[in-house]
Formats: sequence, structure tokens, C-alpha cells
Amino acid sequence: MLPHVAQIHAGGGRIVLSQHSGNAIFSELSSTYPLKLLSPRVQQKCVAVVYALTYGGGLVGGDQVHLSAEINQAAILLLLTQGSTKVFKSRAEQRLASVKRLFEFPNDNPPATTSSIGFTSPNTIQKMDFKVSPNAVLVLLPDPVTCFRSASYSQIQTFHLAKDASVVVLDWITSGRRSRGEEWVFSRYSSVNEIVVDGKRIARDVLLLETEEGKDDVRMGSSTQQRTLADRLSPYACYATVLLSGPAIQTLAEGLRERYGKMTVMKATTPTELLWSLSSICSDSDGLGMIVRVAGKDTELVKEWLRDALSSLADVVGIDVYRRAFV
Amino acid sequence: MTDDEETYLLLLLSDSNLPTGSFVASSGLESYITHAFGSRDAYERTVSFMHDSLASYTRSALPFVSDAHQLVSHYRNNLTNHDRSNTLSILRSLDDLYETMTLNHVARRASKSQGVALLSLYSKGFSRKPTSTSTSVDADDDEVVARISDLVTQFKLCVRKEATHGHLPICWGILTAALGLSLERSQYLHIFLQARSLLSASVRLNEIGPYGAQQILLHSARPLIISQLDKCKELRTGVLDGDNPADETANGPANTWPLGELLAIRHDLLHSRIFNS
Repeated sequence: MLPHVAQIHAGGGRIVLSQHSGNAIFSELSSTYPLKLLSPRVQQKCVAVVYALTYGGGLVGGDQVHLSAEINQAAILLLLTQGSTKVFKSRAEQRLASVKRLFEFPNDNPPATTSSIGFTSPNTIQKMDFKVSPNAVLVLLPDPVTCFRSASYSQIQTFHLAKDASVVVLDWITSGRRSRGEEWVFSRYSSVNEIVVDGKRIARDVLLLETEEGKDDVRMGSSTQQRTLADRLSPYACYATVLLSGPAIQTLAEGLRERYGKMTVMKATTPTELLWSLSSICSDSDGLGMIVRVAGKDTELVKEWLRDALSSLADVVGIDVYRRAFV
Repeated sequence: MTDDEETYLLLLLSDSNLPTGSFVASSGLESYITHAFGSRDAYERTVSFMHDSLASYTRSALPFVSDAHQLVSHYRNNLTNHDRSNTLSILRSLDDLYETMTLNHVARRASKSQGVALLSLYSKGFSRKPTSTSTSVDADDDEVVARISDLVTQFKLCVRKEATHGHLPICWGILTAALGLSLERSQYLHIFLQARSLLSASVRLNEIGPYGAQQILLHSARPLIISQLDKCKELRTGVLDGDNPADETANGPANTWPLGELLAIRHDLLHSRIFNS
């Protein structure tokens, strides 16, 4: 067994990938319950694939996952999941109560939110830290996160890139279990993605989707009209963000820019099935960073769009490896 | 500052004729309409847009207004150990964080042009003419004005040299603190002006009439502004305490309306448009 396993907490994971004469080699690949990391063998030079899985295919209230990864010089890592990350609302009993908690909170309690039906649901937290060395590439193409009714979920991902390192970060969320009629009825979802290149922050995307507390504002003599999450996000059931940075994604970025530049919007009578936008990351990042946002009426539409729009990544990770994403 | 003086400042700053550049910004409303979002009823459409847009703007921008205001007002009133260059450098960090969090080139463009307009407003419109006879006989007061004018001038110079961006929320915090307006009033006025500017845009887009705009501003906007301020007035960016904002998920600035952001970015794709954002 790897000696490092003993050092990581519940829900912890560690990946260190290096490259020696064209072979991608893990000097570390370890994880603890409920996180599981699997790496299938792939043929592509310098490329490794890791699946980050959770037992039972989901996370419950209070679960904490912390993955840290280092991708060394000229190695390429594709990180995937298998099926969407399902976030259940809390359970009364603490899962794995005997295991030391991953994060220390000042008041000894994880941040809790009160759901619309009035009980306190412990937050589920997923934290990922990545370090990417020069000429190395990290491609993060997970399945979307699906928060069930009353669930509370926080995700924090930080990417520390050396100069000439590259990343592709996909972060997406669906409206819930539509088969059960759930449409944006989770309690709280927050997602932070921060990219730091050579010590300088170039992008910090923070998305917060929170069910408004159902209190009427009586001070003004009239009640404030409440806007639910569904009011704000409809008619779409899936929102995706893709952050791109570094020399390895320049072909992809140019392709997207060209595609975007060809669009013209005339006055519509009804919203389209899918919408996407493209923006540079910040004015002084030498045009090296981009952000793509996509919204679609269902998850399949968004997935198909992404698979197609990002297909030039096949040149980076290899066509066979790319086919493993968006299945 | 007395209550009367503050009220006078509020009246001045809420003048819709101020050259602040907000009249060319629709903050995504034009794109929202062209893309056929919202109710079929134009009045309702404006109200729901204002709701979602203002909530997201308050959550993402107000912490920057608050921090810039606190920093500059402490500097103005000599309540801090930060000297001028220190204060300027923290203002630049705030400005930089706002830039990296505004992942929308259309919004960045609008925010910068309005920010710079506010700095010019201060130096050209609100500064005291050196030759004019000052009403204040207080030498201390003159010193405060000189000290703060110098800070604003230096910050404006940084923007001109492109050493910083000059984003609207930061510049608003600087301007209102420089004038001596309290934090609470500065926050309130900023969100009020944002709401009013959305409604003016709606009038110009022929969505609502001028009477409708006043009606919304009086009846729908007020409780909305108050509830958003209640939620966000205590939020800070973490920059002043030297915190790493990466660790914050709950208490920092955040975007709460991804659809609005997407549509605002797509503004530049509109075949015909009358606004810049």
C-alpha cells in the first residue's frame, strides 16, 4: 500500500503525476473513503486519466472531499467522474462519525444553512487544489453536479499554474432530479474557481445560488415579490462554465472565438434551447484566458454542445482519451 | 458632517444630469429583451429583470464599495496607519480583485468608463477652486480636503497610466468617502442609482413609460433595495484584512444570476443596439 494513505483524512485524495521519457507516471495516487481515485491504462504519450468517484455515486450533507493534485513538467492529466455528482440533503446521523473531520471550523461546526423547510442541513464541501508545472496540462471534465431537494453544497477549486502551464476547467450544475419534478429546489449551491498564474490571480469565478428565505417584507406596507431560483434560472435546467488558460488551449480558444464572432442576435420571440457566451478572462492576462458560459433547456443539449465545442482538446489528450469525456 | 450637509450631498449625487456615463449602460437589459426573456408583459419584464439583476449586482459589487469607502474614509479622517502609498496600493488590490471577478468584458468596459467618470466628477466638479473663498474658517477642514484631493488625484493618475482599472464600485466608494458621506448612505445611494439607471434604460428601450418608471422606483424598487442592502451591507471582500478570498465561500462577493451574466456578455452580439452594455 502507498505510505501516504495513512496521512490523509476521510474524503482526502492526492495525485502527483510526472512524465518520464514520454510516459505519464503517478508518483502518488491515493484516496480515502468516500472518495475513490481510479486510473485506467491509456496509450496516449504523456497522458494519464483519473476518475474521481464517490461511493454510492453521491455525497450527503456533511461530506467533505479534499483532493489535491500536482501535474509536473510536461505531463497531461484528464480528470473525470462517472455520472453526475449527486448531492443529497443531509441525514440526521453523521456519516463516518468516527473519522476526523477534514476541515477545522473556527466554531467547531461546519457552515450550516437553513433550508426552506426549516431544518439545518450541514454543508457538503468539495475542495480541490491543483498545481500545474510549466508545459503541463490539466483538463478537468467532470459530469455535472446535481443537487437534490434541500441539499447544500460548496465547491472550491484553485488552480496554481506556472508560466506556460495550461488548464481547462469545466464546472456545471443541473436543476435537480427532474424525474421527481425537482427544478432548482436545492437549498444552496456555491462554486468558486480561482486561477492563479505565476503567482498572480487572473480569474476568480464565484457562483452562488441560494433559495431566498420565504419572509415577506412588511415594512413597506407591501410584500416584496419573491423570486425563486427557478424564476431566475428558467427556462434552463443546466448551466456550465468553462475556464481556459495557457498555451496548450490556444487552438481551442481561437476556434471558439471565431465561432462566437460569427453569431448575430436578431430580435427573438422566444428564448433559444441553448445559449452560450464567450469572454476574455481579464484585460491584462495577455488574452491567454477565456471563459465560456453555456445554458441549456436540458443537460443532454449542453453536454452535446460541450463535446463538440471542446473537441479540439482531442489534439491535446488524444482522440481515444477525449472520447472518455461526455459519455 | 451634519445631517443637512449629508442630505445636500445626497441631492447632488442623485442628480440624473451628473456626467457619470450610466446613460449608455443597460446592464444587460437590452440583451435580455432582444433574447426574449422575461414576461410577455413589458412592465413585468422590467420589474423581474430589475429584481434579478439588482440582487446579483448588490451581492457582487457592494463589498467593494464598502471596502473602498472604509479605507478612504479612515485615511481622510486620519484613523489609520496606512499612508498614502499604502492606501493606494490596497485600493489597487481591490480594483484588481474586482477585475478578476468580473469575467465579462462588456461589464468590465462599462464599469471602467463609469468609474473614471466619477473620479473626474470629483476632481473637476466637486473639488474646491483654490481661488474661491472657502466658507470654512477651519484650517483643519482645509487640510482634510487637500489630503483627500491628493489621494483621489493619485488614484486617477494610476488609472490613466493603466496601473489600475478604475472600476465603478471602487471609485464610488472613493468618491463618497472623499466627500464625507457615511458608509450607509453611500451603499444605499449606489444601489438606488443602479436601480434608477436600469429603469431609465427600460424607458429608453420603450419598455415602460416615464410614469411607469417612477411608479416602479417608488413602489417596487424601494423594498427591493432595502432587502438587498440588508443582505449585503455587512459583506466585505477580505482584501482589507489581508485574507485570502479563495477560502471564502459564504461571505464574499458572488454572482447570483448566471443567466443575466450570460446575456450581458452576449450584448455585443446584438444586431442592433442602442446601449454599450
